[in-house]
Amino acid sequence: MAGLITDWTTLADDQLVNDSNLPDWLKAKKQQAVAQLKTLSVPSRKLEYWRYSDANRLALKGGEASPSSLESHPVSIANDGVEQVVIKLNDNGFTVSDNCPGSVRISPINAIDESRWLDLDMNQETVANLANTACFMHGVSVECSAALEVNLVFEYDYKFDEQWRYVRNQINVDTGAQFSVEERFNSGQVNVVNVYDLQRGSVVNRHQMANLSDAQNLISFNQFELSAQAQLNSTNQHLGGSLQHHLHRVNFNGNQAVFKMGTVNKSINNNNIADLVEVNHNKKSNQSDVTHRSIADGASQIFTNAKAFVAVGADESEIEQDLKNILLSPDAKIFSKPELEVYADEVVAAHGSTIGALDDQSLFYLQSRGIDIKQARAIMIESFEQEALL
Amino acid sequence: MLKIDNVYASAGDKEILKGLSLEVKSGEVHAIMGPNGAGKSTLGNLLAGMPYVQSQRGEVEYMGKDLLELEPEERAAEGVFLAFQYPVEIPGVNNMYFLRTALNAQRKYRGEEPMDSAQFLRMVKQKIKDMNMRDDLLKRPVNVGFSGGEKKRNEVFQMGVLEPKLAILDETDSGLDIDALKIVADGVNQLRAPDRSFIIITHYQRLLDYIKPDFVHVLADGKIVKSGPKELALELEEQGYGWLNN
Ligand SMILES: Nc1ncnc2c1ncn2[C@@H]1O[C@H](COP(=O)(O)OP(=O)(O)OP(=O)(O)O)[C@@H](O)[C@H]1O
Ligand SMILES: [Mg+2]
Repeated sequence: MAGLITDWTTLADDQLVNDSNLPDWLKAKKQQAVAQLKTLSVPSRKLEYWRYSDANRLALKGGEASPSSLESHPVSIANDGVEQVVIKLNDNGFTVSDNCPGSVRISPINAIDESRWLDLDMNQETVANLANTACFMHGVSVECSAALEVNLVFEYDYKFDEQWRYVRNQINVDTGAQFSVEERFNSGQVNVVNVYDLQRGSVVNRHQMANLSDAQNLISFNQFELSAQAQLNSTNQHLGGSLQHHLHRVNFNGNQAVFKMGTVNKSINNNNIADLVEVNHNKKSNQSDVTHRSIADGASQIFTNAKAFVAVGADESEIEQDLKNILLSPDAKIFSKPELEVYADEVVAAHGSTIGALDDQSLFYLQSRGIDIKQARAIMIESFEQEALL
Repeated sequence: MLKIDNVYASAGDKEILKGLSLEVKSGEVHAIMGPNGAGKSTLGNLLAGMPYVQSQRGEVEYMGKDLLELEPEERAAEGVFLAFQYPVEIPGVNNMYFLRTALNAQRKYRGEEPMDSAQFLRMVKQKIKDMNMRDDLLKRPVNVGFSGGEKKRNEVFQMGVLEPKLAILDETDSGLDIDALKIVADGVNQLRAPDRSFIIITHYQRLLDYIKPDFVHVLADGKIVKSGPKELALELEEQGYGWLNN
């Protein structure tokens, strides 16, 4: 474990020496990240964001499975036959399906224009995400300049060989542009950073789907920059895996923008899922709605944390944090924490968090009509998940 | 059809049914009346298989089977139906979906083919007509935001769709307006058949004007203390239950 920092910096140093496609400015960014990594220590339970996850799993091949009554298949989300443009990310780089419209430009991340690069604010809590900046070798830069009826699918298609893949993507959405994005994590062991930069009045509907086997790990850091009147709707489904660690960070940079996020965390066997959201209301009149529905079975652990920070002068902010959790086994654990830090006036904020079991009365009602207990539970769980799906 | 023999049962730590016996034959309608807290709902819950109602002694035989041995869903598939005094709200579960799932689960248990959605829809449409049900309620999540009366009507509608052999109606008439009361009574009367029985728990003789019972029983302090013909209900309405204390 102590070797993790060294692993990261060694990997980064190799790349800095050998990767001839890296522009100098990007080399400098990576060197900075390496330098910062060297001042930090490996993730552990001493950190707030890693308190309820077993950080040893960063170095492991996966967890041990224990039996579960849960179905592992996700609740499907209607896609209304929207045209899909598929970006396959794999060990050879990436491919794009040939139906990609002209108003969507996709290039390797290394070719990103320096002016569009965003420096991310990382510290000890986010050390595993900082490692991405030092180590990323894969990923794409997407620029969308029109309002489109298109679903851009990121398919992660890496070999599963117990090596991490470090992927960085940046999605730039021009003024008034609009489209959908789906991130599908089905394979491999990925540490990803996604930066979404939404210009004025643009709209993105995003769906993050991580349906992992018991041995797989996924770390994601997602930053959303929202200009005035932009809207980002995000639905996340996090199922299974040995370790899933997700951080969503939102910055409101103008007024009257909207961020809506609904997340299902479903931890089936011995999974550790951490699902962290930081919303920074830096400006006036922005709205953020964060809904989590988490279900833990077996010996799983889930940590959900929704933080909203409202800066001085960010009046008329509207914030909702709604975290509900269901424990299905005596060995499962869920930690659920809504947090508000408000320095402005006239803020409308509502937050709530509950942890419980499936409602016995409802289960009995279903049973009394002929539905067996297993199916009754499945129906109840599915309806609970639906509450988070936008 | 149903033979309850000297049953003792408790809920939580409380002993509620204390030596209750009742026999219901095919085609009969039995009304059960009695003071608040007497154990009427507990009896319904015991028959339907509510987990926190525990029987200590006695037997319940239903169509030749030991009813208390069966899971709640098995009882339902065998034809037992309880219209709840307080139906629960189940957010996110659509009423129609729920009903079809329930019906097909019962059919599967009985070795029958499942109903496909077209067949089911046709059948439900007919029932909506027959039972004067509002179809907008069926498009909503189960009981969520329903008024008290709407919940009761939904229970009776479920009964109509599931066509049980033994239906237990727990104060289904409480909270109904006059028109709804008639609709509910009609629903029951339409289902009356030689091979189908009803236990109707009520506080009011009014319902029994519409559904004529074969027997009326008084349940007090966990057992049946008096039984008689339907006129007994009228007597009770006049006298109340004060005489129980003498
Ligand atoms: N789970 C429980 N735990 C403890 N006591 C219970 C429980 N369920 C019912 N009781 C008690 O048992 C008694 C009988 O309840 P029950 O609901 O059967 O009465 P009832 O005859 O249906 O009354 P009502 O006419 O008011 O509906 C009541 O005193 C009630 O408070
Ligand atoms: Mg009652």
